[in-house]
Amino acid sequence: MAGLELLSDQGYRLDGRKATELRKVQARMGVFAQADGSAYIEQGNTKALAVVYGPHEVRGSRSRTLNDRAVINCQYSMATFSTSERKRRPHGDRKSTEMSLHLKQTFEAAVLTNLYPRSQIDIYVKILQSDGGNYSAGVNAATLAVIDAGIPLRDYVCACTAGFVDETPLTDLCHAEESGGGTSLAMALLPRGGHIALLQMDARLHQDHLETLMEAAMTACKSISKVLDQVVRQHLQEVSALTGE
Amino acid sequence: MATVQISEAEKVYILHGVRDDLRVDGRGCEDYRHMEVETDMVSNTDGSAKVSLGHTDVLVGVKAEIGKPRPVARDEGYLEFFVDCSANATPEFEGRGGDELGVELSNTLYKVFGNRSSLDLKSLCISPGEHCWVLYVDVLLLQCDGNLFDAISVAIKAALFNTKIPKVHLSEDEQGGKEIELSDDPYDCMRLNVENVPCVVTLCKVGHRHVVDATMQEKACSVASLIISVTHKGTITCVRKVGGGSLDPESIFEMTETGKRVGKALHAPLMELLHKEESLGKKRDKVGFLG
Amino acid sequence: MTSNKSAVWKTVSMAADMRLPTIRKQVSLSASLSALDGKDLVVPGDVITSDTGFMRGHGTYMDEEKLTASVAGEVERVNKLICVRPLKTRFNGEVGDVVVGRVTEVQQKRWKVETNSRLDSVLLLSSVNLPGGELRRRSAEDELAMRDYLLEGDLISAEVQSVFSDGALSLHTRSLKYGKLGQGVLIQLSPSLIKRQKTHFHNLPCGTSIILGNNGFVWLYPTPGHQDEEAGGYYTSLEPVSLSDREVISRLRNCLLALSAHKVMLYDTSVLYCYESSMPHQIKDILKPEVMEEVVMVTRQKLMEQEG
Repeated sequence: MAGLELLSDQGYRLDGRKATELRKVQARMGVFAQADGSAYIEQGNTKALAVVYGPHEVRGSRSRTLNDRAVINCQYSMATFSTSERKRRPHGDRKSTEMSLHLKQTFEAAVLTNLYPRSQIDIYVKILQSDGGNYSAGVNAATLAVIDAGIPLRDYVCACTAGFVDETPLTDLCHAEESGGGTSLAMALLPRGGHIALLQMDARLHQDHLETLMEAAMTACKSISKVLDQVVRQHLQEVSALTGE
Repeated sequence: MATVQISEAEKVYILHGVRDDLRVDGRGCEDYRHMEVETDMVSNTDGSAKVSLGHTDVLVGVKAEIGKPRPVARDEGYLEFFVDCSANATPEFEGRGGDELGVELSNTLYKVFGNRSSLDLKSLCISPGEHCWVLYVDVLLLQCDGNLFDAISVAIKAALFNTKIPKVHLSEDEQGGKEIELSDDPYDCMRLNVENVPCVVTLCKVGHRHVVDATMQEKACSVASLIISVTHKGTITCVRKVGGGSLDPESIFEMTETGKRVGKALHAPLMELLHKEESLGKKRDKVGFLG
Repeated sequence: MTSNKSAVWKTVSMAADMRLPTIRKQVSLSASLSALDGKDLVVPGDVITSDTGFMRGHGTYMDEEKLTASVAGEVERVNKLICVRPLKTRFNGEVGDVVVGRVTEVQQKRWKVETNSRLDSVLLLSSVNLPGGELRRRSAEDELAMRDYLLEGDLISAEVQSVFSDGALSLHTRSLKYGKLGQGVLIQLSPSLIKRQKTHFHNLPCGTSIILGNNGFVWLYPTPGHQDEEAGGYYTSLEPVSLSDREVISRLRNCLLALSAHKVMLYDTSVLYCYESSMPHQIKDILKPEVMEEVVMVTRQKLMEQEG
């Protein structure tokens, strides 16, 4: 690996974390009043907003309507100022189109779409500040937003990234680690059943290491799910206490 | 939602309310809704601000990049504007749906903010004809609840106030070529003088009168609006009529007068707030989206 | 006269209310925290029971023989039926619910109505009272004249008549209390904040009427006089509403938004208490965060005292 030393001899990473330590996660549900559901999440310096509209009547061409389940419609975009180098367009480029598709597939696996025939659910994710693990932060925010909208889910969807440096798996990569050129694996998991909703790995890795890396990513996703769980329960308690009765 | 549909009877109700100077939310014709402003929201930018006005939410990021001065103004830097009407604000904006509104908004922003009377563009010049700072002002719409222009203009002024451009040291090497060195020290930076940066006031003609800070329902009753940008001294720097209907000269004159007065009054509380926020520095917990 | 009036209004000083955001506080009384004790709160994926003797209701699914929650909310048990009611969701209409909705499309023999449901609701031409007799056959002329009754954008109050198999609601306005709405103000809130009651139509003592639609759409309007009521639902007066009525409506509107921002259940008493609590403040100030907090706090206290 050129230049930067991603893992020191003492076992610390660039930002002082241990190999499998996650960044600090802070989140809030119900950020916006107009949408059906919304959430904001900070994972370290990565910040993402997710908004959910629906379920509602299918918009645009009626031919998209599915008679046995809801259509999930996703858009992933990044604010033009979110990256250190300014982006020219917030969405529509190849990368964000791919991410939109991944989001759609991830949530089709988790949302109980069969309960809403002929409807549509919109999930919009916006990265406000990017520092590695954008997609994961987006998925986690979207999970919270879907729960906020009261849309039935099989389970949380939790996402996290993992990398592999010096025979050691690193979890929740920051931008410097992601762009360091090493392996980076993104995973979205339904933690209770251990179902993997998304798995994507760029760059090469010896087959023998794949299992260790996936193991680390799954553990990280489960830790994220605990954090999200806390956020949801906290929100639930606060609101129920207010509604009273 | 970018637009709303309302019934004839609701329109009549709103029109009569404006006539009596009692709007649906209890405001008078010249009252703004409660506004919240916070700066320094995005660390990847050189300056940023978030403004919420009613349920309208706007996030503005300013990025300074080194570019080449325009041939017509060799000793000045310049500003670029982009408005992202994101699908977060309303599903109508999905895909290319928000592009039209985005272009309309950003074109007006060029006229209002991208000129010498708004900012000292000369201070953005690094070496005449060769290098200058280009400020990319990117607006992100997060929620639409009417009166986008005014909210955006306040957010831009706040973000420009918050902008910190690294100091530049020019040195010449042996061949006579210039080398640009950016200061590493985050405190060694240049601030912009935003004193003359205008604020926009949108006046919406509703019936025979006009209102400021129109909600979407009021906008739906109005045939035309006037956009006026006003500096802290009360100087009008830009006037635009928008909307499908027409306005007679007399009401344009009246609206300009109102706009001037209302716009002038926006600056003092905004500057006071920005200075207060800065003086609190790290003592103040950032609210952001977590509040 | 007009010039005189505008001169007065010009002298009114207006200052923009600008401030730094503060961490939002939700107003609650310490006693209400204890209300949580008896509640069974679950999040998606939580197993509610592995006992097979229960029936699966809304907000749950079967996962490997276990009854599991699919939304975040409170568990409700009715005999053998287990449901989870989410904190916030689109309107899940049931037969008999009162709704306020907006016509979005006029089709042949029916109107499409937006009611904050997961599919557009339907109002059939045969489900409305046409002028000139209750039990008249719908003729071809009636079909052509549908736009004379209800246009795109018009608001109606109606009752849910039936639910189609795909979940879409079929509405009817076959009662004098339902029909097209005239002048007034619509507020769109979360359906879960509307408390179910015997009636959702109230003539409030402050001189205004309110329809608290089960779908979260709330309609505020001046209490109609006798002659309006007899017009049968499709006549709307465009006469100006008096300033005093407007003040009451605007105040109630802001009160409803304040209550909803602080998640107080909405019904005639809570609305009225909030209205009373807001009296020391100007109408336009009610939506300022600190005033809102205070007004809601006083309202909650009044509600607690009333409950005893």
